[in-house]
Amino acid sequence: MNTDTKPVMFIFDLDGTVTSEETLPLIANHFKVEEEIENLTKETIQGNIPFVESFIRRVFILGKLPVSEVADLLETTKLYPHLLEFIQTHRDNCAIATGNLECWSYKLLQKIGCAYYCSDSIVENNKVVKLTKILRKEQIVENYQQEGYKVVFIGDGNNDLEAMRVADIAISVGTTHYPSKSILPITDYLIFNEEALCRQLSQLL
Amino acid sequence: MSSIKSVVISCAGIGSRLGLGQTKALIKVNGRSLIAWQLELLKEVEDIRIVIGYQANDIIEEVLKYRNDVVFVYNHRYFETKTGASFYLGAQHGNDFAIEWDGDLLVHPDDVKTILNTEGEFICYAEKSSDEAVYVQTDDKGNVLAFSRETGDYEWTGPACIMRDKIKYSSGNVFNQLEPYLPLKGIKIRAYDIDTYSDYTRVMEITKNWI
Ligand SMILES: [Mg+2]
Repeated sequence: MNTDTKPVMFIFDLDGTVTSEETLPLIANHFKVEEEIENLTKETIQGNIPFVESFIRRVFILGKLPVSEVADLLETTKLYPHLLEFIQTHRDNCAIATGNLECWSYKLLQKIGCAYYCSDSIVENNKVVKLTKILRKEQIVENYQQEGYKVVFIGDGNNDLEAMRVADIAISVGTTHYPSKSILPITDYLIFNEEALCRQLSQLL
Repeated sequence: MSSIKSVVISCAGIGSRLGLGQTKALIKVNGRSLIAWQLELLKEVEDIRIVIGYQANDIIEEVLKYRNDVVFVYNHRYFETKTGASFYLGAQHGNDFAIEWDGDLLVHPDDVKTILNTEGEFICYAEKSSDEAVYVQTDDKGNVLAFSRETGDYEWTGPACIMRDKIKYSSGNVFNQLEPYLPLKGIKIRAYDIDTYSDYTRVMEITKNWI
């Protein structure tokens, strides 16, 4: 139980943390551009290619695809059911921070139902023509802290590292794949099981 | 097992006195790593929190062979701190009551059951068996009145159970964290910790038919 006077804000990474499958490979498979994207994703999760560079390269590849179709596809991404239930029960104390483009992810995020923060782009003729903002997750953490929240960040990838470093409590999850080794030195809790994660989140309320 | 208690297993230390060159959680006792012993003995417990530091990745790998629903708690400053810091870190965001469980302590299976079925706060102790120990002084009902480096009726071994919010960060040991709350209910158990090589060979013999 949270005995601080501060309210708690749980900020979740999306891919592999709330979803039980990565969304970018899902897009790549659907539109048959696996080969181009697969290596990039793998190297990025491992921390071998800087996240921002990798992200720009992925948007170049995937931006040509019809945006509305991508959004419909991502709406069907598999989610962790008990974690989803936790988020929906405590939606005012939960937020999602994902580097993915809003135009691709908004249907999925609205289905989840809490506040969300994404990267932005300009869409013309149902295609991504320009990347305008790449989300820095640590800024979301800092914003909530300035509003007086105690922030718990839950993530699994190298692109969660700075946000987890800034957060009051950092939880690494290995529910979908083993978390990036780079985040373990700043991790408070490491959890491999959805029920155990939900239990820990409830204990932090 | 009441679901309101967390069990905090401390495995962050280096275990240098044993001289086997690896963290004690991974040493084999009768074919089973110490952490595997704990997970077997504590398999009824829902909320297990394992505090890790030295050789953390190896301990994680070993634990995941047995169950994946534990919470690993990092004590990144394991080199500079003692069991008190690990207990604090392990307990602070767990359930209302925390049972402190040293990763290098083997408790007789029947006594594990007693411990898990005991409500409220308590301190466990055993017959004296180590050369270098902390002792407990008890009253005629077995309640723990004091800890002492010099003299006492029994040897302090742990486990101990206390309300989470009473556990303060400590640069010392768990018994230092318990001292302000004495007297506390005592439970005499059969428990053996492994600090030295001679402890190790003795415990191998004692635990042969335990599981
Ligand atoms: Mg992720």
